[in-house]
Amino acid sequence: MAEQIIINPLTRISGFLQVQATVENGVVTDAANSGLLFRGFEKILLGRNPFDAVYYTERICGICSAAHAVASSLALESAIGIVPSEQGQVMRDIVHGCEFLQNHIRHFYQYTIPDYVRLPEKFPLFDTVGNDFRLTPWQTETISKHYFDSLKISMQAHEMEAVFGGKAPHNHGVFIGGVTAVADADSVIRIKSLLSGIQAFVNTAMAEDAQTIARAYGDYYHMGGGNGNLLSYGCFNGYDSLGTLYLNPDALINGERIKFDERNITESIDTAWYSGKDTYEPFETVSEPDMQKQRAYSWIKAPRYLGFSCEVGPLARQILSGCYPNHVSAMDRTMARVYETSKIASILSLLLEQVKPGIQMQNRYELPQQSKGVGLIDTTRGALGHWIKIKDQKIAFYQIITPSVWNFSTRSGRSLGPSELSLIGTSIKDSKTPVEIGRILRSFDPCVSCATHVLCTGQESKTYQVVS
Amino acid sequence: MNRRDEANKVICELNACLNLLNSANDADPKSNILNYMRCKIYDLYLINNLETGQEFISQANKKSFPAQSGQTFTKQELAKYNGKNGMPAYVAVDGIVYDVSNSAAWGAATHFGLSAGNDLTTQFASCHAGQPILQKLPQIGKMMNEQSESDQR
Amino acid sequence: MNNLNQINDSEDNLVNCLMREAHSRFSKSENPQMNLVWLELTGCSGNIISLLDGDHPDFSFLITHMVNLVYNNSLMAAEGNVAMQKLKAVLETPYILAVEGAVATANNGYYNIIGQMDGKPLTALMAVKMLGERALHVIAVGACACHGGVSAASPNPAKCAAVRDVLERKVIELPGCPCHPDWFTGTLAHILLYGEPELDEQNRPLMFYIHTVHDRCERRSLFEQGIFAKKLGDEGCMFKIGCRGPVTPTDCPVRKWNQHVNWPIGGSTPCIGCAQFGFPDKMEPFISYDVTE
Repeated sequence: MAEQIIINPLTRISGFLQVQATVENGVVTDAANSGLLFRGFEKILLGRNPFDAVYYTERICGICSAAHAVASSLALESAIGIVPSEQGQVMRDIVHGCEFLQNHIRHFYQYTIPDYVRLPEKFPLFDTVGNDFRLTPWQTETISKHYFDSLKISMQAHEMEAVFGGKAPHNHGVFIGGVTAVADADSVIRIKSLLSGIQAFVNTAMAEDAQTIARAYGDYYHMGGGNGNLLSYGCFNGYDSLGTLYLNPDALINGERIKFDERNITESIDTAWYSGKDTYEPFETVSEPDMQKQRAYSWIKAPRYLGFSCEVGPLARQILSGCYPNHVSAMDRTMARVYETSKIASILSLLLEQVKPGIQMQNRYELPQQSKGVGLIDTTRGALGHWIKIKDQKIAFYQIITPSVWNFSTRSGRSLGPSELSLIGTSIKDSKTPVEIGRILRSFDPCVSCATHVLCTGQESKTYQVVS
Repeated sequence: MNRRDEANKVICELNACLNLLNSANDADPKSNILNYMRCKIYDLYLINNLETGQEFISQANKKSFPAQSGQTFTKQELAKYNGKNGMPAYVAVDGIVYDVSNSAAWGAATHFGLSAGNDLTTQFASCHAGQPILQKLPQIGKMMNEQSESDQR
Repeated sequence: MNNLNQINDSEDNLVNCLMREAHSRFSKSENPQMNLVWLELTGCSGNIISLLDGDHPDFSFLITHMVNLVYNNSLMAAEGNVAMQKLKAVLETPYILAVEGAVATANNGYYNIIGQMDGKPLTALMAVKMLGERALHVIAVGACACHGGVSAASPNPAKCAAVRDVLERKVIELPGCPCHPDWFTGTLAHILLYGEPELDEQNRPLMFYIHTVHDRCERRSLFEQGIFAKKLGDEGCMFKIGCRGPVTPTDCPVRKWNQHVNWPIGGSTPCIGCAQFGFPDKMEPFISYDVTE
């Protein structure tokens, strides 16, 4: 007999997600994940000053805000015809890299660890009915201590970000041309000093903790897999003198490495609550909401590359760049994120060596009457794209496809999105406490604030067996 | 040339204009001379507000001249003074036109969604009635009342 | 505790004393007596991230010595109905409610569902009303909760409202985008030690929201001398570019951000008025070049 498991809210993510899994004979046979938050950024941006888009789009998300600032700046540069200097690129990527560090450390400790480690009971924040904790008391105590130690480390990552960014979250330093700050010895050495402490933590405590989790929960290397399609827009690349420090845009589709071409990106609203053209290219249209649509179950759209659903994020980047073996699972995602944290820290070290003091990289920019531009960048959770059209010097069109839309995509035809695919086939030991589901989905690092500038409403609650 | 030398040069030119005015009999040359003097006075204004190290470039022939004190504005004329592209920023409240170009609350010639170059009588009354704000702003002139404006057309 | 000495402005003596007192008194307590519910609603959830960036007191001190944080979507171990039951259970206890994010009201609030409680969707609107009524204090954290913020920016597709518009009780307002962690922990400390802090006519604590950014800006003398930046990154006053410092009453110039390392104007970007009511629509345009001649 099939039973439905509903988890709402899926906590320890950014934003609001409902998971609905169909379980037969203890195995998940179907899954529907729904984003539950609507603001409507694409509508909000219309008619505004294009320069303001950088600061507006940051407010899509509080934990990856610099990502949107970078993508928006790139889109504007593309529309205005600005090519930042290498110095501008280097300094902007330093700010971006700091956001990576902050996000990954917080995702590992604050979002992931409570799934695997019984944190101290005296804190009601850590109350849980989870009953699959496998670590020894010593391991539990060590990682619990590191949970609290990591708070200072991730805080310092944001402190680093603020050196060139002004403040974090929601830094204003990232802009067209690079950043607004002018570097000096004081700011460079401050970043170096903070980075040194962060690197030490990431390469010792965080690396060891990840290994401890991986060894104790090795079964998760065989759970939460996917279709193997991976996509990246590239990041920390394209420098004049440094070349590529991480990876260039790349795609692995059906086992074949494909040369990335942005024209292969489409989006579908097949089972999402929108009306309009079913499948379109990003510059074509922003769909209108339609709550009455049959078959729809989420407001997260379905982006596809050459018609295939793709996974994006640290694992995709680590595999595509050759840093990690081609193996996709919940634990692989978590480990790849930890390895990537160390990689980004090293990249930041290299970038810092390139910073030259006293260089002003800003100009007085003029808006074209009419133009369009696109900004594609891989960021904390994966591939992020901003598409802008300018008319009469105002924003006439703005499309955003975030990494979490790729990963938490609705189904389109018979093509399932990565997060739903990852649940199908999972054995659930205890349907009253289905810890497997949260562990798998959190490995994607969902950001539903990003995936849903979208809407989920109107769904009547069905009489499912609600599992705690 | 330093700031003082520039200013002295303009003052000499103004003196020469005054001499010309004395000897001019017809209205046309007088009007032209007066316009020219007005431009030179604006040059003095610019010299006085130069940033350190900034080079003086005469604006005498440009149209972006601050309005004469006591000028009367139509709505269309006021709209030009929106603070952009070299124009000063003026707003009208209760028929009086004020210069907000250097008023701290008017960053980028805007204030809480309102733009310079407009009559903001209603908005001012709803937010700042009774507050001693206007007396701190330089007065530039008056709004033409609507009857006179339609008579002119 | 060294960073406490970095706030030298004599106007902030209350805050300095408060921080020292809080640390001293709270460190001695074994278990906090007061519960804290932190609801994330229709927003970016950036204020809880900002809170994690606080230091002295930091998040660890907050949950160890100041309050029991019983509910937060980003951080709590529990999920699903177990998490929802914690919201019900806290109603019977003394608690403070912190809310970030606006309240989506379109379609009866279904534009933002924060969970499923006893088989039914729990909207942001229902949650804030349920928790707001019985809380000892309600603190709206961040621009969206205080006045709609970016979530309510025109045309406000989700019909977002401020927390104060949906509750019939006093709400302490901590606007900012995000709210500075110290503004929250300082307000919370005051409540726990001395009761409700002194508030202005908009219910903002005078401790933090009294002088404008312009009043204490490090570039103020440049404004007075008429030395203006023509582009971002210039050393001049950013008034012509569109700085909203003159109309924004926060202590950003002296407190700065992220352990006092910097702040927007220090990073050569103008204040965009993120902590003033009317942000963002009435603080636009943020960046203008055509006024800088």
